[in-house]
Amino acid sequence: MLEGAKSIGAGTATIASAGAAIGIGNVFSSLIHSVARNPSLAKQSFGYAILGFALTEAIALFAPIMAFLILFVF
Amino acid sequence: MNQIGLVAQSPLDQFEIIPLIPMNIGNFYFSFTNPSLFMLLTLSFFLLLIFFITKKGGGNLVPNAWQSLVELLYDFVLNLVKEQIGGLSGNVKQMFFPCILVTFLFLLFCNLQGMIPYSFTVTSHFLITLALSFSIFIGITIVGFQRHGLHFFSFLLPAGVPLPLAPFLVLLELISYCFRALSLGIRLFANMMAGHSLVKILSGFAWTMLCMNEIFYFIGALGPLFIVLALTGLELGVAILQAYVFTILICIYLNDAINLH
Repeated sequence: MLEGAKSIGAGTATIASAGAAIGIGNVFSSLIHSVARNPSLAKQSFGYAILGFALTEAIALFAPIMAFLILFVF
Repeated sequence: MNQIGLVAQSPLDQFEIIPLIPMNIGNFYFSFTNPSLFMLLTLSFFLLLIFFITKKGGGNLVPNAWQSLVELLYDFVLNLVKEQIGGLSGNVKQMFFPCILVTFLFLLFCNLQGMIPYSFTVTSHFLITLALSFSIFIGITIVGFQRHGLHFFSFLLPAGVPLPLAPFLVLLELISYCFRALSLGIRLFANMMAGHSLVKILSGFAWTMLCMNEIFYFIGALGPLFIVLALTGLELGVAILQAYVFTILICIYLNDAINLH
Protein backbone atom coordinates (compact mmCIF):
# COMPACT_ATOMS: atom_id res chain seq x y z
CA MET A 1 0.00 0.00 0.00
CA LEU A 2 2.89 2.29 0.82
CA GLU A 3 4.53 1.44 -2.51
CA GLY A 4 1.35 2.42 -4.34
CA ALA A 5 1.10 5.68 -2.44
CA LYS A 6 4.74 6.42 -3.19
CA SER A 7 4.20 5.87 -6.90
CA ILE A 8 1.14 8.13 -6.89
CA GLY A 9 3.07 10.83 -5.06
CA ALA A 10 6.00 10.60 -7.48
CA GLY A 11 3.70 10.79 -10.48
CA THR A 12 1.83 13.78 -9.09
CA ALA A 13 5.07 15.63 -8.44
CA THR A 14 5.86 15.51 -12.15
CA ILE A 15 2.93 17.81 -13.00
CA ALA A 16 5.09 20.77 -11.94
CA SER A 17 7.12 20.42 -15.13
CA ALA A 18 4.18 22.00 -16.99
CA GLY A 19 4.89 25.42 -15.47
CA ALA A 20 8.56 25.06 -16.26
CA ALA A 21 7.83 24.20 -19.89
CA ILE A 22 5.71 27.35 -20.25
CA GLY A 23 8.48 29.42 -18.67
CA ILE A 24 11.22 28.12 -20.93
CA GLY A 25 9.02 28.58 -23.99
CA ASN A 26 8.43 32.16 -22.86
CA VAL A 27 12.15 32.87 -22.62
CA PHE A 28 12.96 31.57 -26.05
CA SER A 29 9.91 33.21 -27.64
CA SER A 30 11.17 36.54 -26.30
CA LEU A 31 14.57 35.73 -27.75
CA ILE A 32 13.09 35.14 -31.18
CA HIS A 33 11.04 38.36 -30.99
CA SER A 34 14.01 40.46 -29.92
CA VAL A 35 16.37 38.98 -32.52
CA ALA A 36 13.74 39.66 -35.18
CA ARG A 37 13.60 43.29 -34.07
CA ASN A 38 17.32 43.85 -33.71
CA PRO A 39 19.48 41.16 -35.35
CA SER A 40 22.73 42.95 -34.53
CA LEU A 41 22.29 42.08 -30.84
CA ALA A 42 21.74 38.40 -31.57
CA LYS A 43 24.84 37.09 -29.78
CA GLN A 44 24.33 39.06 -26.58
CA SER A 45 20.61 38.26 -26.52
CA PHE A 46 21.45 34.60 -26.90
CA GLY A 47 23.72 34.84 -23.87
CA TYR A 48 20.91 36.33 -21.80
CA ALA A 49 18.49 33.70 -23.12
CA ILE A 50 20.80 30.88 -22.06
CA LEU A 51 21.09 32.45 -18.60
CA GLY A 52 17.29 32.72 -18.36
CA PHE A 53 16.89 29.13 -19.52
CA ALA A 54 19.27 27.83 -16.89
CA LEU A 55 17.55 29.74 -14.10
CA THR A 56 14.09 28.52 -15.19
CA GLU A 57 15.35 24.96 -15.55
CA ALA A 58 16.49 25.05 -11.95
CA ILE A 59 12.90 25.42 -10.75
CA ALA A 60 11.86 22.75 -13.22
CA LEU A 61 14.19 20.32 -11.49
CA PHE A 62 12.71 20.79 -8.04
CA ALA A 63 9.88 18.53 -9.21
CA PRO A 64 12.02 15.46 -10.00
CA ILE A 65 13.93 16.05 -6.77
CA MET A 66 10.69 15.83 -4.82
CA ALA A 67 9.66 12.78 -6.87
CA PHE A 68 12.93 11.02 -6.07
CA LEU A 69 12.60 12.02 -2.42
CA ILE A 70 9.12 10.53 -2.22
CA LEU A 71 10.03 7.37 -4.11
CA PHE A 72 13.34 6.43 -2.60
CA VAL A 73 13.73 8.17 0.72
CA PHE A 74 10.40 8.09 2.54
CA MET B 1 18.77 -7.28 -13.45
CA ASN B 2 21.01 -9.23 -11.07
CA GLN B 3 22.83 -11.11 -13.80
CA ILE B 4 25.95 -8.98 -13.78
CA GLY B 5 27.38 -7.75 -10.48
CA LEU B 6 27.95 -4.20 -11.72
CA VAL B 7 24.22 -3.44 -12.20
CA ALA B 8 22.95 -1.06 -9.52
CA GLN B 9 19.92 -1.90 -7.48
CA SER B 10 18.28 1.48 -7.81
CA PRO B 11 18.99 4.51 -9.98
CA LEU B 12 20.29 6.37 -6.98
CA ASP B 13 23.06 3.87 -6.23
CA GLN B 14 25.53 5.72 -8.43
CA PHE B 15 25.53 8.56 -5.91
CA GLU B 16 26.68 6.39 -3.03
CA ILE B 17 29.61 7.72 -1.00
CA ILE B 18 32.15 5.03 -0.25
CA PRO B 19 34.91 5.67 2.31
CA LEU B 20 38.12 4.54 0.63
CA ILE B 21 40.43 5.21 3.58
CA PRO B 22 38.33 5.30 6.76
CA MET B 23 39.66 7.73 9.34
CA ASN B 24 37.66 8.60 12.43
CA ILE B 25 38.74 11.06 15.09
CA GLY B 26 36.33 10.49 17.96
CA ASN B 27 32.94 11.19 16.44
CA PHE B 28 34.24 13.11 13.45
CA TYR B 29 34.26 11.40 10.10
CA PHE B 30 37.45 12.42 8.34
CA SER B 31 37.58 9.52 5.89
CA PHE B 32 38.99 9.86 2.43
CA THR B 33 35.88 9.09 0.40
CA ASN B 34 35.36 8.74 -3.32
CA PRO B 35 34.13 12.35 -3.71
CA SER B 36 37.46 13.41 -2.17
CA LEU B 37 39.30 11.27 -4.69
CA PHE B 38 37.40 12.75 -7.61
CA MET B 39 37.80 16.30 -6.34
CA LEU B 40 41.56 15.70 -6.14
CA LEU B 41 41.48 14.29 -9.68
CA THR B 42 39.60 17.35 -10.95
CA LEU B 43 41.97 19.77 -9.26
CA SER B 44 45.05 17.93 -10.47
CA PHE B 45 43.63 17.72 -13.99
CA PHE B 46 43.11 21.40 -14.51
CA LEU B 47 46.18 22.45 -12.51
CA LEU B 48 48.37 20.16 -14.62
CA LEU B 49 46.70 21.45 -17.78
CA ILE B 50 47.48 25.07 -16.91
CA PHE B 51 50.96 24.20 -15.64
CA PHE B 52 52.02 22.40 -18.79
CA ILE B 53 50.72 25.22 -20.95
CA THR B 54 52.34 28.08 -19.10
CA LYS B 55 55.79 26.71 -18.30
CA LYS B 56 58.82 27.82 -20.31
CA GLY B 57 57.86 31.46 -20.03
CA GLY B 58 54.17 31.30 -20.84
CA GLY B 59 53.63 29.35 -24.03
CA ASN B 60 54.20 30.16 -27.69
CA LEU B 61 53.14 33.34 -29.42
CA VAL B 62 51.22 31.24 -31.93
CA PRO B 63 49.19 28.96 -29.68
CA ASN B 64 48.68 25.28 -30.20
CA ALA B 65 45.35 23.64 -29.40
CA TRP B 66 45.82 23.17 -25.64
CA GLN B 67 47.06 26.70 -25.18
CA SER B 68 44.08 28.00 -27.12
CA LEU B 69 41.78 26.10 -24.79
CA VAL B 70 43.38 27.55 -21.67
CA GLU B 71 43.39 31.05 -23.16
CA LEU B 72 39.73 30.63 -24.12
CA LEU B 73 38.72 29.69 -20.59
CA TYR B 74 40.82 32.48 -19.05
CA ASP B 75 39.47 35.10 -21.45
CA PHE B 76 35.90 33.93 -20.96
CA VAL B 77 35.98 34.35 -17.18
CA LEU B 78 37.92 37.62 -17.49
CA ASN B 79 35.23 39.09 -19.73
CA LEU B 80 32.57 37.81 -17.37
CA VAL B 81 34.16 39.54 -14.38
CA LYS B 82 34.84 42.79 -16.24
CA GLU B 83 31.36 42.99 -17.68
CA GLN B 84 29.38 42.13 -14.58
CA ILE B 85 31.15 44.05 -11.86
CA GLY B 86 30.66 47.59 -13.11
CA GLY B 87 31.63 50.90 -11.63
CA LEU B 88 35.05 50.03 -10.29
CA SER B 89 38.58 50.63 -11.44
CA GLY B 90 40.40 47.79 -13.15
CA ASN B 91 42.61 47.02 -10.16
CA VAL B 92 39.72 46.36 -7.84
CA LYS B 93 37.98 44.15 -10.37
CA GLN B 94 41.09 42.00 -10.72
CA MET B 95 40.88 41.31 -6.98
CA PHE B 96 37.91 39.04 -7.47
CA PHE B 97 39.10 37.39 -10.64
CA PRO B 98 41.24 34.51 -9.24
CA CYS B 99 38.50 33.27 -6.93
CA ILE B 100 35.89 33.32 -9.68
CA LEU B 101 38.24 31.68 -12.19
CA VAL B 102 39.02 28.82 -9.82
CA THR B 103 35.34 28.34 -8.98
CA PHE B 104 34.40 28.23 -12.65
CA LEU B 105 37.19 25.82 -13.61
CA PHE B 106 36.50 23.55 -10.64
CA LEU B 107 32.79 23.30 -11.41
CA LEU B 108 33.37 22.90 -15.14
CA PHE B 109 35.84 20.06 -14.75
CA CYS B 110 33.86 18.41 -11.95
CA ASN B 111 30.72 18.37 -14.08
CA LEU B 112 32.52 17.16 -17.19
CA GLN B 113 34.28 14.44 -15.24
CA GLY B 114 30.93 13.13 -14.10
CA MET B 115 30.04 12.42 -17.71
CA ILE B 116 32.69 9.70 -17.94
CA PRO B 117 30.94 6.32 -17.52
CA TYR B 118 31.37 4.70 -14.12
CA SER B 119 32.88 7.84 -12.63
CA PHE B 120 31.46 9.87 -9.79
CA THR B 121 29.92 13.32 -10.12
CA VAL B 122 31.16 15.39 -7.22
CA THR B 123 28.63 18.19 -7.69
CA SER B 124 25.65 15.86 -7.59
CA HIS B 125 25.73 15.92 -3.80
CA PHE B 126 23.80 18.66 -2.13
CA LEU B 127 26.31 18.98 0.70
CA ILE B 128 29.17 19.79 -1.66
CA THR B 129 27.34 22.39 -3.74
CA LEU B 130 25.70 23.87 -0.65
CA ALA B 131 29.09 24.23 1.06
CA LEU B 132 30.46 26.03 -1.99
CA SER B 133 27.48 28.34 -2.48
CA PHE B 134 27.05 29.09 1.22
CA SER B 135 30.71 29.99 1.76
CA ILE B 136 30.71 32.20 -1.35
CA PHE B 137 27.52 33.89 -0.14
CA ILE B 138 29.10 34.62 3.26
CA GLY B 139 32.20 35.94 1.46
CA ILE B 140 30.13 38.29 -0.70
CA THR B 141 28.25 39.60 2.34
CA ILE B 142 31.56 40.25 4.10
CA VAL B 143 32.83 42.11 1.03
CA GLY B 144 29.67 44.22 1.08
CA PHE B 145 30.03 45.11 4.75
CA GLN B 146 33.72 45.82 4.31
CA ARG B 147 33.03 48.26 1.51
CA HIS B 148 29.96 50.04 2.87
CA GLY B 149 29.88 49.41 6.62
CA LEU B 150 26.40 49.49 8.07
CA HIS B 151 25.14 51.38 5.00
CA PHE B 152 25.05 47.93 3.37
CA PHE B 153 21.57 47.46 4.88
CA SER B 154 20.23 50.11 2.52
CA PHE B 155 20.48 47.38 -0.12
CA LEU B 156 17.34 45.85 1.39
CA LEU B 157 15.16 48.88 0.69
CA PRO B 158 14.96 49.84 -2.99
CA ALA B 159 14.54 53.51 -3.84
CA GLY B 160 11.12 55.08 -4.25
CA VAL B 161 9.14 52.86 -1.90
CA PRO B 162 6.21 54.38 0.10
CA LEU B 163 6.84 54.26 3.84
CA PRO B 164 3.93 51.98 4.96
CA LEU B 165 5.14 49.31 2.57
CA ALA B 166 8.73 49.45 3.80
CA PRO B 167 8.76 46.87 6.66
CA PHE B 168 7.21 44.12 4.55
CA LEU B 169 9.49 44.88 1.66
CA VAL B 170 12.59 44.79 3.86
CA LEU B 171 11.55 41.42 5.26
CA LEU B 172 10.83 40.07 1.80
CA GLU B 173 14.12 41.33 0.44
CA LEU B 174 15.97 39.83 3.41
CA ILE B 175 14.40 36.43 2.83
CA SER B 176 15.10 36.66 -0.89
CA TYR B 177 18.70 37.62 -0.18
CA CYS B 178 19.24 34.71 2.16
CA PHE B 179 17.55 32.35 -0.27
CA ARG B 180 20.25 33.12 -2.83
CA ALA B 181 22.75 30.98 -0.94
CA LEU B 182 20.41 28.00 -1.03
CA SER B 183 19.19 28.44 -4.59
CA LEU B 184 22.69 28.64 -6.01
CA GLY B 185 23.61 25.28 -4.53
CA ILE B 186 20.25 23.63 -5.20
CA ARG B 187 20.27 24.62 -8.87
CA LEU B 188 23.60 22.93 -9.53
CA PHE B 189 22.75 19.89 -7.42
CA ALA B 190 19.30 19.41 -8.97
CA ASN B 191 20.56 19.65 -12.52
CA MET B 192 23.40 17.20 -11.98
CA MET B 193 21.43 14.65 -9.96
CA ALA B 194 18.35 14.72 -12.16
CA GLY B 195 20.40 14.40 -15.33
CA HIS B 196 22.43 11.47 -14.14
CA SER B 197 19.44 9.66 -12.62
CA LEU B 198 17.49 10.08 -15.86
CA VAL B 199 20.32 8.64 -17.95
CA LYS B 200 20.60 5.74 -15.48
CA ILE B 201 16.88 4.96 -15.61
CA LEU B 202 16.70 5.06 -19.40
CA SER B 203 19.82 2.93 -19.76
CA GLY B 204 18.15 0.46 -17.43
CA PHE B 205 15.21 0.27 -19.81
CA ALA B 206 17.49 -0.18 -22.82
CA TRP B 207 19.50 -2.90 -21.08
CA THR B 208 16.41 -4.80 -19.93
CA MET B 209 14.93 -4.72 -23.41
CA LEU B 210 18.23 -5.85 -24.89
CA CYS B 211 18.43 -8.83 -22.53
CA MET B 212 15.02 -10.25 -23.34
CA ASN B 213 15.23 -13.09 -25.82
CA GLU B 214 12.65 -11.88 -28.33
CA ILE B 215 13.60 -10.15 -31.57
CA PHE B 216 10.90 -7.50 -31.13
CA TYR B 217 12.39 -6.33 -27.84
CA PHE B 218 15.87 -6.50 -29.30
CA ILE B 219 15.01 -4.05 -32.05
CA GLY B 220 12.84 -2.04 -29.68
CA ALA B 221 15.86 -1.46 -27.47
CA LEU B 222 17.09 1.00 -30.07
CA GLY B 223 14.44 3.47 -28.88
CA PRO B 224 15.73 3.97 -25.32
CA LEU B 225 19.28 3.77 -26.67
CA PHE B 226 18.77 6.77 -28.94
CA ILE B 227 17.08 8.66 -26.15
CA VAL B 228 20.10 7.92 -23.93
CA LEU B 229 22.35 9.22 -26.71
CA ALA B 230 20.37 12.45 -26.98
CA LEU B 231 20.21 12.82 -23.20
CA THR B 232 23.97 12.37 -22.85
CA GLY B 233 24.46 15.19 -25.33
CA LEU B 234 22.05 17.32 -23.33
CA GLU B 235 23.89 16.39 -20.14
CA LEU B 236 27.18 17.57 -21.60
CA GLY B 237 25.56 20.89 -22.49
CA VAL B 238 23.96 21.19 -19.07
CA ALA B 239 27.29 20.44 -17.34
CA ILE B 240 29.01 23.34 -19.06
CA LEU B 241 25.96 25.60 -18.76
CA GLN B 242 25.52 25.06 -15.02
CA ALA B 243 29.15 25.96 -14.35
CA TYR B 244 28.65 29.14 -16.39
CA VAL B 245 25.39 30.03 -14.62
CA PHE B 246 26.93 29.49 -11.17
CA THR B 247 29.82 31.77 -12.05
CA ILE B 248 27.76 34.51 -13.64
CA LEU B 249 25.36 34.54 -10.71
CA ILE B 250 28.30 34.95 -8.32
CA CYS B 251 29.44 37.93 -10.41
CA ILE B 252 25.93 39.42 -10.33
CA TYR B 253 25.65 38.99 -6.55
CA LEU B 254 29.09 40.54 -6.13
CA ASN B 255 27.97 43.46 -8.24
CA ASP B 256 24.88 43.81 -6.06
CA ALA B 257 26.96 43.83 -2.90
CA ILE B 258 29.54 46.30 -4.17
CA ASN B 259 27.24 48.71 -5.99
CA LEU B 260 24.04 48.41 -3.88
CA HIS B 261 21.72 48.56 -6.89
